[in-house]
Amino acid sequence: MAELSVTELSQELRDAIAKLDVTGDLETVGVVTRVGDGVAWVHGLRSAGYSEVLLIEGSNGETVEAFALNLNEDEIGAVLLGSDEAVRAGAKVTLKGTVLDVPVGPELLGRVVDPLGNPLDGGPAIMAKQRGLVEREAVGVIGRKHVHEPMMTGIMSIDAMFPIGRGQRELIIGDRQTGKTAIAIDTMINQGRQKTGVINVYVAIGQKLSKIARLVERLKEEGVMDQTIIVATGPSDPASLLYLAPYAGTAMGEYFRDNSQHALMIYDDLTKHAVAYRQMSLLLRRPPGREAFPGDVFYLHSRLLERSAKLSDDLGAGSLTALPIIETQAGDISAYVPTNVISITDGQIFLETDLFNQGIRPAISAGLSVSRVGGDAQTKSVKSVGSHLKLGLSQYRELASFAQFGSDLDEATKSQIEKGQRMTELLKQHQYTPASVWEQVASIHAVSEGAFDKVPVSKIKEAQAALLTRLWTDHKKDMQELTKGNEKVSADSKYAKLIEKTAKTVAKGFED
Amino acid sequence: MAKLSRRKIAALWASELLKGRDITGQVAAYLVESRRVDEATLIVRDTEIALAEHGVVVADLTSAYALSADSREAIEKFLAIKMNADKVAFRESTEPSVIGGVRIETAGRQLDATLKTRLNQLKASKI
Repeated sequence: MAELSVTELSQELRDAIAKLDVTGDLETVGVVTRVGDGVAWVHGLRSAGYSEVLLIEGSNGETVEAFALNLNEDEIGAVLLGSDEAVRAGAKVTLKGTVLDVPVGPELLGRVVDPLGNPLDGGPAIMAKQRGLVEREAVGVIGRKHVHEPMMTGIMSIDAMFPIGRGQRELIIGDRQTGKTAIAIDTMINQGRQKTGVINVYVAIGQKLSKIARLVERLKEEGVMDQTIIVATGPSDPASLLYLAPYAGTAMGEYFRDNSQHALMIYDDLTKHAVAYRQMSLLLRRPPGREAFPGDVFYLHSRLLERSAKLSDDLGAGSLTALPIIETQAGDISAYVPTNVISITDGQIFLETDLFNQGIRPAISAGLSVSRVGGDAQTKSVKSVGSHLKLGLSQYRELASFAQFGSDLDEATKSQIEKGQRMTELLKQHQYTPASVWEQVASIHAVSEGAFDKVPVSKIKEAQAALLTRLWTDHKKDMQELTKGNEKVSADSKYAKLIEKTAKTVAKGFED
Repeated sequence: MAKLSRRKIAALWASELLKGRDITGQVAAYLVESRRVDEATLIVRDTEIALAEHGVVVADLTSAYALSADSREAIEKFLAIKMNADKVAFRESTEPSVIGGVRIETAGRQLDATLKTRLNQLKASKI
């Protein structure tokens, strides 16, 4: 036998390739029998799988993509990813051989894309090295770790009372115009301000394009766009794209999670997502259930949110945190989709219209909001000052409603109400002004320890600003240390004494 | 009575055809009675698929010019191997617009080796 060398082998292989007689093969084809409302019914293609991409020959020679959602005995119901105008009955349909995937990776940072990964910001094409599956199974039990690192939102009332951890799913729920998106945006901005390195993925589902454009501008102004990906769908996009948007965004976030980084997903909002899915399901002739939603609307959101996780050390300890948003109608949290998402998530931040109209912004309801797993993830120093905050505020709101009747109150109740008023005033926070750890700790500690008891409620915010300025100018090093969050601020600690002393001095300037 | 699926009608028709019994008239009567005449073309397609599963392949050949006996034989051989068929029958048609080559369409599968399609593919890839 002739001796074989590597060079000969490669030469032989090249020759074989050159000589190879490439003949076409029979490919499976189907035919469109009906089309309309963004749904095409296809005859044939018996080997098609669920969620597999179909290529439909368009009337103008272009190919329209669709994905198979109904696999019936006689036909396939496929949802078109583009306009249905180009698709005619009788058009040929072939299988792409893949399920839906999108480009993923750092190349997407700073970009605005549609749910298929096409740029919408007028920038160059995205040359991502990797693609991620739109529908992917969530990590199993062994691949996970408990949530233990903080995901600071920069919003005092959230970080102190309902802390969110990396890998947690915390729902933001409330009526229209109660500041739901504002909380999400502030959280994204805070990741840039505090240099946490967390990647933001904002998924806009059926949002007005002008609103998305404003958001992009704002994020650029704040310098956070470099660590942000925006997956945008507008109200005029086909329902299929609205349905895919959160899954596609999650695939982009998962890349960072799986590469030992931390990502934050914002789904704005899942009510519109459920509505888009309801539209698709009804057009696919699936039987309607409660509120005309299909039977699997729970699974729709549970499989999405289950992909947010804190990974185990073996898998790189990355995390994917989710802040889904749900819009309620007239505060009704017992509607179908809100109850579903409340039960799926690890807690909710409930925003109330009444509070919003009273000027308490963020309008977070202390009684109805909860964070089920964030306690372990809370920064030590914030935890030490904020542990009694939630109970105190809830009691204050209850007392305040009784006090409205104007009867005589005993001293203890009066003082509790006054303290509650001061705390409520302190927790008011303007949009785009996330607070760092030391700012939160110092402000809350000063009010809860009574340093501002003689300051009128209307001047609390001014006093707080003065306190923070004084602390930063006089004790910058201490505050920088405090911002690391590892120090407990208990009664006899150095930081507690420092804050109380400065607060008392500052308060004198604001007393009546 | 529950609506019979096209697949079931096709399976029955194909099995009867293979046994040498022609029930076309009965199938037609059923379609008229159940007001499903619109589905006739699809049922034919389904029946061809069912026949192909039993080794009988009916193929549509489209070419710019009439095919030579050699080409026909080659296609027959190709289909016999690819579709695991014992018997191959053709329906031939000429269509000058395909320019050259041949398009084979059979039982839910096709091989489009026409020049027209190749040119369209080139156009689509924007080379």
